[in-house]
Amino acid sequence: MSEALACRDLSLKYGSRSVLEQVSLDVAVGAWTAVVGPNGSGKSTLLRALAGLMTPSRGTVSLQGRPLAAWSRRERARRLAWLAQDSGTTNLTAAEVVGLGRFAHSGWLAANKSEDDAAMRRAMLATGSLPWAGRRVTTLSGGERQRVLLARVLAVEAPVLLLDEPTTHLDPPHQEEIARILRDQAHGCGVCVVSAIHDLSLALTADRLIVLGPDGVIGHGTVREALAGGWLSTAFSTDIDIIEHEGAYLWRPALEPRRRHHA
Amino acid sequence: MNAVRPASIALHTGPLIDGDRSRLYFWLAICVATTALLTGASLLVGTSSIETSLGWLTSPDAQSSVILWQIRLPRTIGAWFAGALLGLGGAIAQGVFRNPLAEPYLLGTASGAALGVTLSLLAADASIAELAWAGKLGVTGAACVGAVAAIALTILLSRGVLQTANQLLAGIVVAFLLSAVTSLLLLTKPELWRAMQSFLLGSTGFLNWSSASLLGIVFCICALPAALFARGLDALSLGEDTAASLGLSLPKLRLCMLGILSLATAAAVGEVGVVGFVGLVAPHLVRESVAVNNRQLLLGAPLCGGALLQAADLVSRWVIHPAELPVGAVTAAVGGTYLVVLLWRRSRRE
Repeated sequence: MSEALACRDLSLKYGSRSVLEQVSLDVAVGAWTAVVGPNGSGKSTLLRALAGLMTPSRGTVSLQGRPLAAWSRRERARRLAWLAQDSGTTNLTAAEVVGLGRFAHSGWLAANKSEDDAAMRRAMLATGSLPWAGRRVTTLSGGERQRVLLARVLAVEAPVLLLDEPTTHLDPPHQEEIARILRDQAHGCGVCVVSAIHDLSLALTADRLIVLGPDGVIGHGTVREALAGGWLSTAFSTDIDIIEHEGAYLWRPALEPRRRHHA
Repeated sequence: MNAVRPASIALHTGPLIDGDRSRLYFWLAICVATTALLTGASLLVGTSSIETSLGWLTSPDAQSSVILWQIRLPRTIGAWFAGALLGLGGAIAQGVFRNPLAEPYLLGTASGAALGVTLSLLAADASIAELAWAGKLGVTGAACVGAVAAIALTILLSRGVLQTANQLLAGIVVAFLLSAVTSLLLLTKPELWRAMQSFLLGSTGFLNWSSASLLGIVFCICALPAALFARGLDALSLGEDTAASLGLSLPKLRLCMLGILSLATAAAVGEVGVVGFVGLVAPHLVRESVAVNNRQLLLGAPLCGGALLQAADLVSRWVIHPAELPVGAVTAAVGGTYLVVLLWRRSRRE
C-alpha cells in the first residue's frame, strides 16, 4: 500500500504543554484507519496536525509525498478534507453546507458549476442526505446533521479524509451508518480515511488502528496486530477484553474491578 | 491524484443550492416598497404641517423646492444609506465574530468612530455642519481610524474573537471608555460641545446632498466586496478549523471584513453620529423573516437597516412635532428593547 499521508518526528504542543512527542506514521490509501486512545491522549491533536490545522513544534507532515507547507492552501484543501468534532451552529441549508465542500474547487462564488453540483449529489447520495438538501441544518436531527456534514467532507472528493470523532453523540444505528460510509469510501473509492473513534467496538471494525496511550503512540497496524500486541490494554492502562464473534471483534465491558496496569 | 469514484451516480436535475428563493425575493420587495413609502412620507413631515407640505408638492415655489429637494430628500436618502451601512456592518460583525449580538455600536466601533470625528473636528476647529467635501472625507478617515482602534481594543480585551459574552462586555467597556474620552475632549472646547451634543446622540439633521453622496459611494465600496467574500462567512459558520480546511485564509478574510465594517461604521457615524442598534436589529429581522445564507443576509440587512433608519428619522421628526428627537434616541429605545427580547429568548432556549 502506498502512503497518502505521513509524519516524521512530529512533536505537538499546546502552549508549553507537550501533547505528543516524536510521532512517525505512514497512513495508507484505500484503508480506513481509526485513531483510538483514552481521553486526553492527543487523538484530536494528532488529527489536527495531520490536517495542517496546527503547527507542530517539531517534525513534518507530508501529503502525497510533499510536505504540507509546500502545497498551496487551495491545492491542499482539494486533497485533504477535514471533519471537525464540533461544527458550530450554522444557518445554512444542507445543500449550502455540502456546497462549501466545493470551496477549494469553485472559490468565492457559489458552487454552481455542473461538476460541483454532480459532486454534491454524489456525496449526498452516498450519505443518504439528499432528501434534506433544501432544509436548514438547524432543523435536522443529530444523525441527519452528521450525515450532511459528512457529505460536505465527501463533496471535496479528496483522496485523504480526516475525521475527528464523526460518530460522537449518535445512536448505534447512526454510528453504524457512518462507519459503513467511511469503509465504503476507503474500499470502494480508494480513499485514505483516518478518523478518531471513541467507541472501541466501532473502532475495531476499521482496517487499521493507530493506538495512542498517555505517553504517545503505542502502535500502528492492523486490528489483528493491535489485539495480538495488547496495545489497547497498554493504552488504557487496564485490561481491555476483546472477544471475536463471527469475524467481528467486540469489546466486552466487565463490571468487576479491573486490574490496573502501571507504567 | 484524485480518487476514482463511480460516475454513474452523477445526477443532473437542476442545481441543488438555488432552491426556492421566492420568499426571499418577496421579503426584499417589501423592504424596497417600504423604503419608497418612507421616502414619500419623509417629504411631507417637517416643521410645517402635512397639508402645507402636500401643497408644496402640488404647487412648488422657490422656497418650498429648497425645503423638499435640498433638505428633506437628501436627509431621508442619507438616512437610508447610513442605516444600510449600519445594517451591513451588523451583518458582517455577526458573521466574522460568530456572535449574534455583535454590531458596530455594541462592539465599541461606533464610539471609536465618534472619537475620531471629535478629534478631527477639534484639530480643524470646525463644526460638523460647516464641513465641505474635503472636510467630510477627512472626518470619515479619522472616524475609520477610530473604528479600527476600537475593534482592536475590543478583540484584545475579550482575548480573541470567539468569546461571545466576553466580547459583548469588552465592546461595551470600550464604548463607554471612548465615549468618556470624547466627552473629556469636548469639555476643552465649550463652543463645539453644543454642536457635538446632538451628533453624539445621533442625528440625521446634518445630512445634505454631499453627505448623502458620500454615504452612497462608501456603501457601494463596502457592499460589493462584502457580497463577494460572503461565502467565507458561510464557511466560518461551520467553525474555524473547518473554514481553514476548506482552503480559506482566515486572517485575510477577517482583515478584509473588519476593514469593511470599520469603513461602513465610520462613514455612517461621520454623517449621522452615534446611532445604535440598527446594526443589531436589521440582520436579526432578516433572519427571522426569511432563511438566508450570508450573501443573502448581506443584501437583506442593508435594505432592512436603511428602511429602519428612515423610519426612525421620520419618527424623530414627528413625535414632538414641530421639534425633533435625536434619531439615536429613537433607535436606542427600539433597539434596546429588541436586545432585551433577544437576550430573554436566548436565556429561555438555554
